[in-house]
Amino acid sequence: MNKLAYLVLLLASVAQAQIKHIEMRVEGMT
Amino acid sequence: MKQHLGRQSGVQNVEVSLLDGKVDITPKEDGRIDPAQLLKATYDSGVTVAEMDITARGKIMKEASGGLAFQVAPNQSFACMPNDLSKSSESLSGTPATVTVRGQLFKKPAGKKKAQPASQLQLTILQIQKRE
Repeated sequence: MNKLAYLVLLLASVAQAQIKHIEMRVEGMT
Repeated sequence: MKQHLGRQSGVQNVEVSLLDGKVDITPKEDGRIDPAQLLKATYDSGVTVAEMDITARGKIMKEASGGLAFQVAPNQSFACMPNDLSKSSESLSGTPATVTVRGQLFKKPAGKKKAQPASQLQLTILQIQKRE
């Protein structure tokens, strides 16, 4: 039962994971 | 470049500042976006990427090699470059805890006018913003 609860927690936390923002600095832009 | 990046998968919005060469990319709600694809798309549009930073929520994982990785999706993770912040978050590896980090995924090598980004991006954690 403990393993199942841990697995559910693990999957839930991965499902919440995401990239929120990306920032780049570029050169040669006209 | 703005239009080209805006057409990439997972991109919600692109803001470009011509003054300082800054490009801000907002992913769609689900956060499914591939930074390596964005780097390639940027190069394909004819400009050089000096650096790329991300803010992301994910989990610290231990790789088979013993190094740490930051997992942002079940099938998407970035190897972490060892530094003080990655060491301090090592205790979270293998736990359900999620962290929000700001980190650098790419930096153009000094002295090179143009450098193709590596296909395998590595994350240098610059700031741990939140632990949950």
